[in-house]
Amino acid sequence: MATSTTSSGGGGTGTQTFKPYRHLKTLKDHENAVSCVKFSNDGTLLASASLDKTLIIWSSATLTLCHRLVGHSEGISDLAWSSDSHYICSASDDHTLRIWDATGGDCVKILRGHDDVVFCVNFNPQSSYIVSGSFDETIKVWDVKTGKCVHTIKGHTMPVTSVHYNRDGTLIISASHDGSCKIWDTRTGNLLKTLIEDKAPAVSFAKFSPNGKFILAATLNDTLKLWNYGSGKFLKIYSGHVNRVYCITSTFSVTNGRYIVSGSEDRCVYIWDLQAKNMIQKLEGHTDTVISVTCHPTENKIASAGLAGDRTVRVWVQDS
Amino acid sequence: MNASIIDPLQGDFPEVIEEYLEYGCMKCIAFNRRGTLLAAGCNNGSCVIWDFETRGIAKILRDDECSSPITSICWSKYGHQILVSAADKSLILWDVMSSKKITRIVLQQTPLQARLHPGSSTPSLCLACPLSCAPMIVDLNTGNTTLLKVSVLETCNGPTPTPPSRNKCSDGITSFTPTAACFNKYGTLVYVGNSKGEILAIDYKNGDVRAVVPISGGSVVKNIVFSRNGQYLLTNSNDRIIRIYENRLPLKDEVRALDDLSENHNVLNNIENLKAVGSKCLTLFREFQDSITKVHWKAPCFSGDGEWVVGGSASKGEHKIYIWDRAGHLVKILEGPKEALIDLAWHPVHPIVVSVSLNGLVYIWAKDYTENWSAFAPDFKELEENEEYVEREDEFDLIPETEKVKGPDVNEDEEVDIITVEKDAAFSDSDMSQEELCYLPSTPSRDVPEQQEKCVESSSKLLDSNNTGSPLSEEAGPNGHMMNHASSPLEDDAGRMKRKRKPSEKVLELQAEKVKKPSKSSKLAKPKSKSLADQDNDNAANHKVVGKMTELKKRFGGICHYLFPTSYLSLGCLSMTTREH
Repeated sequence: MATSTTSSGGGGTGTQTFKPYRHLKTLKDHENAVSCVKFSNDGTLLASASLDKTLIIWSSATLTLCHRLVGHSEGISDLAWSSDSHYICSASDDHTLRIWDATGGDCVKILRGHDDVVFCVNFNPQSSYIVSGSFDETIKVWDVKTGKCVHTIKGHTMPVTSVHYNRDGTLIISASHDGSCKIWDTRTGNLLKTLIEDKAPAVSFAKFSPNGKFILAATLNDTLKLWNYGSGKFLKIYSGHVNRVYCITSTFSVTNGRYIVSGSEDRCVYIWDLQAKNMIQKLEGHTDTVISVTCHPTENKIASAGLAGDRTVRVWVQDS
Repeated sequence: MNASIIDPLQGDFPEVIEEYLEYGCMKCIAFNRRGTLLAAGCNNGSCVIWDFETRGIAKILRDDECSSPITSICWSKYGHQILVSAADKSLILWDVMSSKKITRIVLQQTPLQARLHPGSSTPSLCLACPLSCAPMIVDLNTGNTTLLKVSVLETCNGPTPTPPSRNKCSDGITSFTPTAACFNKYGTLVYVGNSKGEILAIDYKNGDVRAVVPISGGSVVKNIVFSRNGQYLLTNSNDRIIRIYENRLPLKDEVRALDDLSENHNVLNNIENLKAVGSKCLTLFREFQDSITKVHWKAPCFSGDGEWVVGGSASKGEHKIYIWDRAGHLVKILEGPKEALIDLAWHPVHPIVVSVSLNGLVYIWAKDYTENWSAFAPDFKELEENEEYVEREDEFDLIPETEKVKGPDVNEDEEVDIITVEKDAAFSDSDMSQEELCYLPSTPSRDVPEQQEKCVESSSKLLDSNNTGSPLSEEAGPNGHMMNHASSPLEDDAGRMKRKRKPSEKVLELQAEKVKKPSKSSKLAKPKSKSLADQDNDNAANHKVVGKMTELKKRFGGICHYLFPTSYLSLGCLSMTTREH
């Protein structure tokens, strides 16, 4: 059923030849759009969040359902793993975040405080803080142990679409529909840098690179850019996909070469070479927008999530 | 990692109390090597470990055998162990992750200070400074103690040196006067400050005094501290003077250097030989004192990078911290609540000072936040002084959107490394093969079934797993059950865990102002990029005026015409003056 095509541009670094990804399995247990997929940091589990108000934890090895996490009263837009892979935090349209025990499958804590839909969430690397962004235009930092909100950052004038910590947890990047992308100090909540500040298009996604030096940011004009936030300039542009409406997440693939992976509104997963910026592969098979992609931390494995017309999580692997 | 976007114009020493920590009655404090954890010894014998980033309690180490006040705390090099000395004459070595007591030794005298050997990640030796005896080396495995010499009187009297004394006070004269001692950077030597105002460098392996440095005035030495990089030595004497000495010995080969120095002075008698060697080991670099009030000093130490010297006033009812730069200038006096200061520590990597007051609170001093205007828009940048701005001839022409030229081209073919993490410059001897304990796991307290905010005892279990996603985090303990047990005493004291923020009035005002700024900044028009060109002297006056208009334009985002009435210019200048103040 699924096919994959290889770009004629070749690819990979000079010393490596890109091996195409192939479809391995389709996970079909969600009953509505799947909004987010993430592998755990130790790679053993895969979590998916859905508008059906549940999260599912899958085994990465067998791709079977381990737990279904039930409790949210509205759809879930985002999820994050703690660094030790013990906990999941989910962001929901019911205005709350929940911390789940990933091994037991039960809800440990509910974080209340946002006045509107909670749209994005991430743990810091030490897993002592959680940062969340919301349609109430605020960014909140929560203490994991107590569940209390320790900072409320009012720096955006439209919904916050993405939040992420850098490698040592000292900085927070935020992206918003107001067209801006800003960097905040975790300790004080102060604004340190404004990376993007255009009225249009909206910045739909932003995250730090694995070493914390660069920022990958998506805007709703079919563009992904890699920025050096120290100098405030973008270094790379990745395009060819379709991204006009949804806040599609992207990620870095580092297990076998260096690539950028992103979903797309044309139902495909796109893979670009990090350095040369050319599209290397396009993974087809989803029947609706691919809203989220995640790469396994140690294996050459990609998981992607489709919206309501698809409702599946597809897993792709690279033969070695 | 923030360094590239932190405002370089801000100073790097603390200015205000940012927060305070409260748990029981804390007496002494110590940071781990990276400043992520802060250990505090309490009056009831327990040791509380704060997560310095969340300012929450991460762990409590408590020993049923010890309910005496803790006199000092010391972390092992990579943070896996903590050594505690207490008023009941005991030394306790803790394993931090498992909260287990490794060993407990009872000395014959109360140790006022205890320091683990700095060169080892699992040290078995420590240096203890008892209340009324010479400093001693304690073997934590066997409990054996070896007294160190505190003077060279005995060797001076005879033609041949007498054997070093063991297991008893070696100097009757100083038997009731405390001495200060510390290891050098790698733990090969012990430096002792004695009651005669001398600094002795001692090779503790054989007990030999290798060098003597007399301090002018001859006052009792109360504190002796090395900077973290080992290049400077600080002494605090009873004459109320803090002295900084420069360490002339090569850091990694100090004993051999002393051997070389000694051989060159064989012709001299022993005491003069030691002083001659001493003059080549340490040279007096700087002296600090409060020449007006002549205060005694408490807990003097260096900042993490060695650039600043900090000392607390020892006066009762006074919580004052003095900060000098190494050139000798007093740059700051921090004044806190009217409670005596009893301990002090500078954060290893940040401009933060933590002080302990007599009533058991810990105050955290940090820089006062100042608004960094260049953070609010991508094209803004801070100017250190006015620059003349020359407009492009077509700068204000209206150009159709499609015809706008791209900005200066970025080299998009440049290789981008998203993986490599640079070595931390603050830790020159980082050994990446040794995993360091920087963080303790944060376990969310489980909500009660009614879903209330109230915290109750945690029932979650930690399993053994790798923290691949958190490179600085230590692996969870091998026994997950132990972690659950460790958290129990923490939860029992949930009611007493308190963390309060006491921002200064100025900070409150700035915070209020800050709330308004973000929405305002988002409405700013995007200023055009600036270009400078050569200027003639004939146009100097006009260009200066234009430069000021550029300032106004950047601040307010409006378009200013080149020609303007005189009154408008005056208004602008007044505005600039006000802002500059």
